[in-house]
Order: sequence, then structure tokens, then C-alpha cells
Amino acid sequence: MLNTILKYAGLFILLIAIQVLLMNNIQFSGFVNPYIYILFILLLPFETSYWLILLLSFITGFVIDLTSGTMGLHIAASVFAGFLRPYVLGLISPREGYEEGDLPGLNAYGFRWFITYVLIIVAFHHFVLFYLEVFRFEYFFRTLLRVLLSTGFTILFMIIIQVIVIRR
Amino acid sequence: MRTLLNFLKKFGNIFLFVLLEALAFYLLASKPNYHSIKLSKALNATTAFVNEKVNRASDYFTLVEINRQLLNENIELRNAMQRIYLNSEISTFSVTDSLYRQQYMYILARAVNNSVNKQKNYITLNKGTLNGVRKDMAVIGPDGIVGVIIESGRNYSIAMSALNLDFRLSARLSKNDYFGSLTWDGSDVNCLNLNEIPHHVSIAEGDTVETTGYSAVFPEGIMVGTISEFSVSGGDFYNIKVKLATQFKKLNNIYVIVNLKKEEQQEIESDIQITR
Repeated sequence: MLNTILKYAGLFILLIAIQVLLMNNIQFSGFVNPYIYILFILLLPFETSYWLILLLSFITGFVIDLTSGTMGLHIAASVFAGFLRPYVLGLISPREGYEEGDLPGLNAYGFRWFITYVLIIVAFHHFVLFYLEVFRFEYFFRTLLRVLLSTGFTILFMIIIQVIVIRR
Repeated sequence: MRTLLNFLKKFGNIFLFVLLEALAFYLLASKPNYHSIKLSKALNATTAFVNEKVNRASDYFTLVEINRQLLNENIELRNAMQRIYLNSEISTFSVTDSLYRQQYMYILARAVNNSVNKQKNYITLNKGTLNGVRKDMAVIGPDGIVGVIIESGRNYSIAMSALNLDFRLSARLSKNDYFGSLTWDGSDVNCLNLNEIPHHVSIAEGDTVETTGYSAVFPEGIMVGTISEFSVSGGDFYNIKVKLATQFKKLNNIYVIVNLKKEEQQEIESDIQITR
């Protein structure tokens, strides 16, 4: 138990550091802003209780908000992502259900399963985040394009991070 | 009691979700309070510190560009000096001490963190209240405007970049002094929009746009950029795109401008509003 907590604390710090030091510096005329920190919420073990997921989402969003000076923005988006997680997991669960002790990562139920899982949650997270950030309907389609492009890149980076770092 | 517990068991998580979202929106809507500022200042100081270390390494790659900017600035200062010398040779040039005061003071700072890829971009500077940087001071680069300070800590401060949907600045055409307001629409990191210029004014591509100094934040005549494109919209005003003189992607050395007479101006302006 303690081991798990330590492992996730390490993952938390690592993801925040990658987000702040690398991802926030990607310059591609404003259309690609990957937010990989919600990988932390995505990777929590299957049996994590719902209230804990929500609270951890809140804390994650809060820390990101502190580093980027946008109080409330990332909280709203990541709590929403945490809220969706159990429903999405239920929607795409394999026939025999999930095994306890597993974590919903890249090598749990195959690549296709992981992509579906991540795509739905990341897309919703980015949708909430980008529209809240702009907070006007004036630039609707451009914001939509930003959501789509950033979602793609976020997923790409999430896969890279998992392959390089988390397997170890 | 049991029904209440059952109810909580069933909907408790939804309640928690709604509660947390409500808190998020509350934080989003409210002005930053003491605790959040304290917290984010502490965190920003750490991230700014790390960023500064990273910057120090990447600085070497931009030395040529910075050198060019400095040379250009030196030339401009030399020219300005010539003008001053000429002025002082005119025998009627007199100075009354109590009125002739320095109005602006420049503080050299460096951008240690800067983004251009958001809709609301901010710049972190490595100077804070200890160096005299305060809220609402203008920030310019060697080539032109950069932004406005919105918060200052002890050693670092944060400026709202001109590339921010909330950025507003009054600016004028330098050739005929017609002024309008500058905004950014979030699409092009090299262009701002100049609004409220009536379409009977003659403008051309390449015309210089500069600050007006009406806001008591920016001094008069600071370079904004040149007109790159304009069209007549349905109303009485032009749609003007101004190509920024400052390269926001390569921001490095910047200056914070202290307006020493700002309080006086604002005081007298607020007096008028009361009697109006």
C-alpha cells in the first residue's frame, strides 16, 4: 500500500515536471498545447474509489493552476476528467471485467483499448479546458481545431512517456 | 437516517463532483485572493528559478540577435543625444526646476519565462518589488511594446503579454495622430488588431503605429508595429492588422517603464470623474 502511494507520488511529480518544463514550452502558433498531466488520473488503479479519484483530480488541477497562474481553469477540466473516468472504463470494459491490482495503462488490455480510453477522456478534458480558457464563442471553430490538434499530441506524448518512463 | 445514508451512498460522489466543480468555477470567477497569491508566488518563484537556469544555457544561442538589437538601440540613443545637444544650444531653452522633472524611468529585466502559444499569454520577469517593479507598469523590448505588469513578487514579476485576449492598449498612427485601441484576436502571434480608426482617415500598408500615452502606463511614441493589412468593415471603421515590431518568440532583454507621475495623473483624472 505504502509502496503504491510512493510510486504514484513519484509519478505525480514527474508528470507535473514534464508538463511545466517541457509541454508548456511547445511553440506551434498556439494550436498545439498538450496537457499530459491528466495521465496521472488515467493511470490510477482500477479499484481506486470514486471520491479519491475526484479529490486527486482536484489536487492535480490545483497544482497545474498554481504553476500557470490560471486559478480554477485546470481544476474544472481535470475534475471533469476524473468524473468521466469510471463511466468510460465501464463503457469499454472487457467481457470478463477488470482485474484488481491492475492499472489502466498501455499494456493492460491492449493498445486499442488504451487508445479508446485515453481518447475519450483527453478529448473531453481538452474541450472543457480550451473553451473555458477562451470563454467566448467568437472563436468557436478555431478553438475546436486547437482541441483536436492538442488532443492528438497529448495522446502521442502520453504513449511516449509510458513507453520510456513508466515501464521502468 | 438510513434513507439519508443510502441516499448519500448513491449520490455522494455526484455531490462531491458538483461541489469540486463549483469550487473550481468559484476560483475561476473570483479575483485572486491573499492565499492563492501567496501560494502561487511561492510556486512561481520556484518555477521561475528553474526557468532562469535553463535560460542561462539557451542564452548563448541568441547572442548574435541580442547584439544586433543592442547596436540598433545604441545608434538610436546616439541620434537622440544629438537632438538634445542641439536643443540645449538654443539660448531660450530654460528649465524651471519644480516642473521640469523626469517622468519615466527604465528598469532592465529579463524574460525568464514566456509563452506565445496560449490564448492568454504571460511573461515572467526576473525583477520584482525589490527592484521597484510594481503592478500596472509598462514593459517594452528593444523593438517595441511587450506588455503590462500584472503582479509582482519580491524577485520576480508577471506581465500580461500583448498576445493576450484581455490585453487593451490605446495606440495611434504616428503620421496623423488618429488613435484607436489595440487588441489581440488570438490567431496570429505576429499581429495585433487596431480598431476604431474611422475610414475617412487615409492609411497605407507600412504606416507606423505607436503608443499614445493616454493610459499613464506606456509613454508616448513607443513603437508598436507597422500596418500589414487593412480593410473597411461594415461600420465606419477600418479593420487594421498591425505587424508587431517585437518578436515575441525571441523575447530576452526587456525594460520595465516606471511612470513617476502616474499617481498624479490618475488622481486628477479621478477628481474629474467625481464632479462629472
